[in-house]
Order: sequence, then structure tokens, then C-alpha cells
Amino acid sequence: MATKPDAPPPQMPTDPATGRPLPPREQPGYYPGFSTLEQQNYWDAATRKLVLDRVARTLPIRFFTPEEVRTLAAVVNRILPQEDRAPARRIDILGVIDNRLFENRIDGYRYIDMPPDQEAYRIGIRAFEQMARTLFQRSFHELAIIDQERLIESIHDAKPMAAQEDWSKLNIERFWGLLVSDCCGAYYAHPWAWDEIGFGGPAYPRGYMRLEDGEAEPWEVEESRYGWNAPSDTLSDDERLHGSGQQHQTHHGTGGTH
Amino acid sequence: MSEENETPLLGAFGEPSKPLHYLGPMQQIQPPRRRFKETETVDYVIVGVGSAGGVLLQRLARAGFSVIGFDAGPFWDTERDWVSDEAGSHKLYWNDLRITGGQHPLALGENNSGRGVGGGSVHWAAFTPRFHPSDFEVYTRDGVGADWPLDYQDIEPYYELLEQEIPVAGPAYYPWGKPHGYPYAPHPMGGVGDVLIKGCTRLGIGVSAGGPVAILSASRGNRPHCIYRGFCIQACKVGAKASTLITHVPDALEHGAEIRDNSMVSRVSMRPDGRADGVFYFDQQGKEHFQRARAVIVSGYAIETPRLLLNSACPGHEHGLANSSGLLGKFLMAQAGNVILGRFDDLIRLYKAPPAHALTEEFYETDPKRDFARGFAIQTVGPLPIAFARQMMTAKGLWGWGMRRTMMDYNHYASIALLGEILPWEDNTVTLADGHEGRPEARDRFGLPVASVTFNLHDNDKKMIEFGKNKVMEVMWAAGATEVVQESRYAHLVGGARMSRTPDSGVVDKFGRSWDVPNLFVMDGSVMPTQGSANPGLTIQALAARTADYLISHGDAIFTSSRRDLEEPPCRKTLSPPGTFTAGVPHLR
Ligand SMILES: Cc1cc2nc3c(=O)[nH]c(=O)nc-3n(C[C@H](O)[C@H](O)[C@H](O)COP(=O)(O)OP(=O)(O)OC[C@H]3O[C@@H](n4cnc5c(N)ncnc54)[C@H](O)[C@@H]3O)c2cc1C
Ligand code: SF4
Repeated sequence: MATKPDAPPPQMPTDPATGRPLPPREQPGYYPGFSTLEQQNYWDAATRKLVLDRVARTLPIRFFTPEEVRTLAAVVNRILPQEDRAPARRIDILGVIDNRLFENRIDGYRYIDMPPDQEAYRIGIRAFEQMARTLFQRSFHELAIIDQERLIESIHDAKPMAAQEDWSKLNIERFWGLLVSDCCGAYYAHPWAWDEIGFGGPAYPRGYMRLEDGEAEPWEVEESRYGWNAPSDTLSDDERLHGSGQQHQTHHGTGGTH
Repeated sequence: MSEENETPLLGAFGEPSKPLHYLGPMQQIQPPRRRFKETETVDYVIVGVGSAGGVLLQRLARAGFSVIGFDAGPFWDTERDWVSDEAGSHKLYWNDLRITGGQHPLALGENNSGRGVGGGSVHWAAFTPRFHPSDFEVYTRDGVGADWPLDYQDIEPYYELLEQEIPVAGPAYYPWGKPHGYPYAPHPMGGVGDVLIKGCTRLGIGVSAGGPVAILSASRGNRPHCIYRGFCIQACKVGAKASTLITHVPDALEHGAEIRDNSMVSRVSMRPDGRADGVFYFDQQGKEHFQRARAVIVSGYAIETPRLLLNSACPGHEHGLANSSGLLGKFLMAQAGNVILGRFDDLIRLYKAPPAHALTEEFYETDPKRDFARGFAIQTVGPLPIAFARQMMTAKGLWGWGMRRTMMDYNHYASIALLGEILPWEDNTVTLADGHEGRPEARDRFGLPVASVTFNLHDNDKKMIEFGKNKVMEVMWAAGATEVVQESRYAHLVGGARMSRTPDSGVVDKFGRSWDVPNLFVMDGSVMPTQGSANPGLTIQALAARTADYLISHGDAIFTSSRRDLEEPPCRKTLSPPGTFTAGVPHLR
């Protein structure tokens, strides 16, 4: 989305040595030059098609209204910030969520204390907007990033700073889980995110041969770390959460493992 | 495609070349077709071709019965339908609505059950430990849970059989439960397995490396060996990991069975004389049909099985079919499956190797020194990036820059998990979301009430989880982790139509025959009275093979007589898929 003149200034990660903002990268992460997409000829045809389509597609917005998009886009940009990525290399998250809700694809269940996913998103977006209006008399997307983060953090903590009535229509912790899961599901499905974290990507029919000691395959890249600090005033960095970051009691895992 | 992309010597890997149905790259069959008319009365209808249904279908077809396996999902072509991709594998799961509640609501969907031929064996991690002898007499030993109406000796020959048929790779001497050995060699270790072994060894805990897991460590017939790509729970395109889709269904088709896929069974039909006479089902277009059968076997998983029987209520069976005990849908169980994530200074690359590749059962049995009955296992798991991010969301409360930062360290983490025995409790249930008696109301696209699942932990369960989780964390620290976090979760639903010695204490007898309707059987994970700390898949398949032997022994009497014979059938070793059963099990006698 185009940056509107009244949008808050972007918040950039900084270089720990100089304290200056780090310029956006084509590929953040510690595996310089690693590209899963370059390996696509080694993938099976069905997987290649699926992943290339994922990279090429632009998903239309069909479920959310333009107002909802403004709010949710701002929320999603805080849940998985991408200011460190060059603009052409940012990963669409909102479109993926919209697509899921438009097609009403669910995960196979609904908690008894939650409305259906479609409704939960509408309620949640309205509640974020309502919090911003109550506390700042402005729209959520117009708030300074730190204020957006404050509101979001209050939902992470299940202690909304305002709009109690809107939030009472669902189980906040489950809504948080739904939202963050959806964001992660979109971002970490993208080959650029695989490159960022050094995940090998699709691996059939070739497979892996170096299984132990974290050894890289001949076509993978060795780790090469660099320091970066999250923007100094962010509320969402790991270090700050640490200690308080113990598991929410009512949260439990939803993915399959063994 | 850009020019600089690397290319294999013979060019990019292409589309499947033949107009055949692929079950792995090397096993190709004629596209499955319809064989029976609805007006024809077949011997058996099996509802659900999953872990249990696939084995039953193969056995009954080989023994010469006419049989149709219904599945609500598709008959997968592994080359065309499956992908080596996490998000793209969502379709493997039962994604239709279910309601979940209680004090500790279970996540369903991808956390639990499959849809499509092969069922849960398509996306299982394929850990295949046996149950221990003690599992069959938990009540007698500990005064909790229940006893099974059968003993370890009754199922043991079927463990040996299935371990060869699917087959299982693991050590030649497996020390826990009743010691035994495995027919295929243990797998080489990956980074996560190394962590489990190191942690356990430093603490003096015995550990089994490279299995038991139903993944080929050497090629067999038309199935290649594992390529260690780590996508097991996204379904194994390689065909190295066993699923009934590739191990038993092809042989079933060869012997005249039909699979009616994309067909959702809505109701078991009853005759006025108290016998079942077929099933109603919806095709993909939502049109309802009726298939006649002499006997019906329900193998739809611990949620859909009770749901179907409850939805089949009819005059004479007002509270659901086979529910005169009132226990249908009760005693639902899940295992505790907490995932413990540890960060290491060195790289792990946890996405390589099968998620299931090492475990310990050192804490499986009741230990009088602990303050709870029964125990737990510790196993490797291997979350791919999306699953890992979601685990970090719960385990560390991450979002924003913290999420991005931790994810950049994905390759520094190892993940091992608890697999703990939660006891059967009557208040853990599957009911219908039919809006009656205070129950929620929700229906599927065919208008059928969906399942509503209620789950609560009890005192013994909580103590076990607390102890078990701490033990796994201890192992992770001992392996050298610099940070250890954990996520609570549950896995593997079983129970809900338990087998029992008497009609008032369960839904089916020890062969899965319902106490109320003589030609109606239940055979899948829902018949389990208790669950041990072993993943249930192998036991489910072994029980299915045993029930098949029982049905074969009784021949046509199943279709006409109501006499209930509870003699163990002879274990038939001639019904295995070709070339899978030999004398090659390392026997420890
Ligand atoms: C991520 C994950 C990992 C796992 N890993 C392991 C593991 O390592 N080891 C292990 O032992 N177990 C594992 N499991 C559990 C295992 O998959 C299940 O316990 C097992 O498959 C259950 O077998 P079943 O026969 O009861 O049902 P399923 O295998 O689920 O089969 C049920 C079938 O019935 C069909 N069906 C249901 N209702 C209807 C209807 N009304 N009409 C038509 N068809 C219907 C479904 O589509 C499905 O195909 C795992 C599960 C998950 C989710
Ligand atoms: S790791 Fe092995 S068994 Fe698992 S999906 Fe890959 S090839 Fe199949």
C-alpha cells in the first residue's frame, strides 16, 4: 500500500556499533546469498508450481472492507514488521489472510468461546480501531508506531487498554493466537523467508545428505551472523519479552508434531 | 525461470510421465474405479480408509469378501496432489468444522486427524512403538483407568506382522515393554536426535536411536528408502514413510476392493430386526446415496466415529447407535505432547531427517517414587518454519521484532517432546453440536450436526505433565542448550467407543463388534480403553489386522448370526501384502 502523508515514520532496526538505522536489505538474516528459489529445478513439478505461484501472485482483497484493510494492515505490520526488507522484497500477509477468510478456509475447529474466524477478525479489527479512537481520537493506522505497539501489546497480554465491550465478544487470547498464527503462516510460507532463516525449502526428490552437526548441504550457505538491534523504542523485541515471556496459561499449541 | 538456477544433469525434475495413479514415484496403479452398484449388497462397508480402515480393507478383500472403503476425502495421487511444502499440505487434514471446549480444549485440525485415503497415516510422523504389557491392565495394576478385554499376548503376533508389513526400522534390541527387535535397520541420526541422545546419555537415561519408526531405511520393492527431507507430517512423497495408502490399499484394490472416495457417510442404516443394512452417504456434489451391505465397520477416527454413530440415532437407538451403555463418545483421550525447544550455540538445522527418529521409554511405567500413576515417553520432533513460529508464539510469547529475531535463529534450535499418558475420564467427550440440552449448534455443509469435543485434565494428568515436561527440559539442558522453553499441547485422540468385557462397560467387544448391533463393528483408535505413552498408530493397525482375522474366521455367520464368540482367532500370516512378511524379525525368545 502507498505510504500516505500522515502515516507514521518507519521504525528501522539499527547497527549496534554505530546506533544508526540499518538500510533495508534484499535479504535479511544470516545466510547471505542463499536462495531456495535457485534450487527450483531440483523440486518436483507440483511443488515448483505451488511455490512459484505463491511468489508471483498478487492477491486481491475480497473479504475485508477498505477501512478494515487500513487497520489490519497496520496491525499486521507490527506483528511481523518488515521495514528491514527492501520494499520490493516484502512478503504479503494481509492478502493471504483475506484470501483464507474470503474462501472461509478454517483449520478444522472453533473454540466454543470463539465466534467463527470471519466474525472474529471483524470484531478484532473493530476493537483495535475503537481502542485508538478512545485513547487517541485517531484511527489506528494513523497512530505513532509506539502507540500502535502499546495497544497491540495490551491484546498480547489479554488486558485491552480500551474498547472492553468489543473485546468481550471473543476470547482475546485465542484471537491473539489466531492473528499471530495467520501472520506467521503467510510470512514463513514464502521462499524469501526461508532464505532469511536458512531453511532448505522443498527437498523432494533430492533430499538431504548432511544430517548432523548443522552441516550445510553443498547448495546451502554457511551461517554468517551480523548484529542488529530492533528499533530502540519497540515493545516487541525478544530481549524485552524475555522473563515475562513465559507461556500464557490458556495458550497451547495447535500444530501437529508426533 | 531465471537462467542461473541450478539444474540437475538431466534437466529439471518434471511432471509425472504416465497416465497412471502414483503412490510414490515407483508404485503406479491403474486409476481406481468404481466396482459395485448401490443396488448390489456388498459384504462389508468400511467407513474411513485410514490407519485401521486401510488394513481391514486389504485383509477382507484378500480373503475374498466384497468390500467398499468409503472415505470423506480424496484418493491421493502422491505425485500430483502432494507437495514438499508446509502451507500447501493443509488439505491433508480434517478441516471441516468441529467445536472444541472444556477446561483444556484440544486443538483439532492439523493437530489431529486426516482426511482422504490413508487417513492419519498420511500425515503421521510414523513413530511406531508398541504398547507395553502393562497397558492392557492399568486398572488392575494401578487402580486407575481401565483394563483392556485383551492381553498383550493377544496382540503381540499382530505387532510382529505389522512391523514387517509396513515395515518398522529400529534397533535389533528394543529394551522397553516386552523386549523385541525390528526388521529394518535404524536410521542415521539427525541434529535433533543427537541432542536427545546426548542429553539422555549425560543423565544416564537409555535412549533408542533411529527408530522405531515406520520409515524405510532401505528400499523395498516399489518403495524407495528415506531421503531425510523432514517433511513426514506433510505426507511422504517419496513413499519411504508407511501409510496405508501405499502399504495396504494397492493390495486391496488388486483383490477386488473398491474405494469410494470423496464420499461422506452420514448415517448407518438399520433394519427393523436390529441389524444394520448399509450406509447413507453424500457424494462430492452433495447428493445423497445409499449403499447396501451385509455388515458395516466404522473406522472414522476417535471423533468422527462417535459422531457418525450418534448421528445414526433411530427408533430403538434413540441415543445413538450402539449406545445402550450410554458410553458412546465418552472416555475420549489425548496424549500430552508438550514441545520443548532448546537453543544451542552450534547449528542444528532441525528440518533435516524425519521428525521421528529417536525416543526413550525409560519413564513409561508407573514409578512408586512419583506422585502419579503411569508415565510418559520422550521423543524427537521437527517443526518446519511455520509450525516453529507458532510454537515460539506460545512458548515465548513472541511477536514483532522478537519473532523475526528468534526465527532467524531457527537453525540453532532443537525440539524434543513429551508423550504422556492421560487417563480415560468419563467427562472427556465427543457429543453432537445439535443444539439440544445446552449443547452448541453447528452443522456441516450436508446439514449434519458436527462433533463437539470437551476435554479436561484431571489431577493425575496434571502431575504427570508437570513432571514429564520438567524431565524433558532437564534433558535439553543436559544436552547443552543455552535457553529452554516449552509449549503445552496434546496429540493423538483415541477412545470414545471403548472396547469392554461387558455390554454395560463399553461400546464394543474385544474384536470391535458392537454390543448392541451384531453386524456393526467399530475398529479404529476410538476402541482403546487406555492409551499408554506410545503413539497409537501401530496398535491401531495391529488391532485392525486381528479383527480382520476374527471376521474371516467367522465367515458368513457375521452376516446372519448374533452369536458372540470371543475366542481369539488364529493369526493368519498369509494375508500380508506380497513380499512383506518373512521370517526375518529378530526374535528374542
Ligand atoms: C501431525 C500428526 C502426527 C502424528 N504422528 C504419529 C506418529 O508418529 N505415530 C503414531 O502412531 N501416530 C501418529 N499420529 C496419530 C495417527 O495419525 C492416528 O492416531 C491414526 O491415524 C488414527 O487412525 P484411525 O484409523 O483411528 O483414523 P484415521 O487414520 O484418521 O482414519 C479415519 C479416516 O476416516 C475418514 N472418515 C471419517 N469419517 C468419515 C465419514 N463419515 N465418511 C467417510 N469417511 C470418513 C477420514 O477421512 C479418514 O481418512 C499423528 C497424528 C498427527 C496429526
Ligand atoms: S524424511 Fe524420509 S520418511 Fe519423512 S518425508 Fe522425507 S523421505 Fe519421507
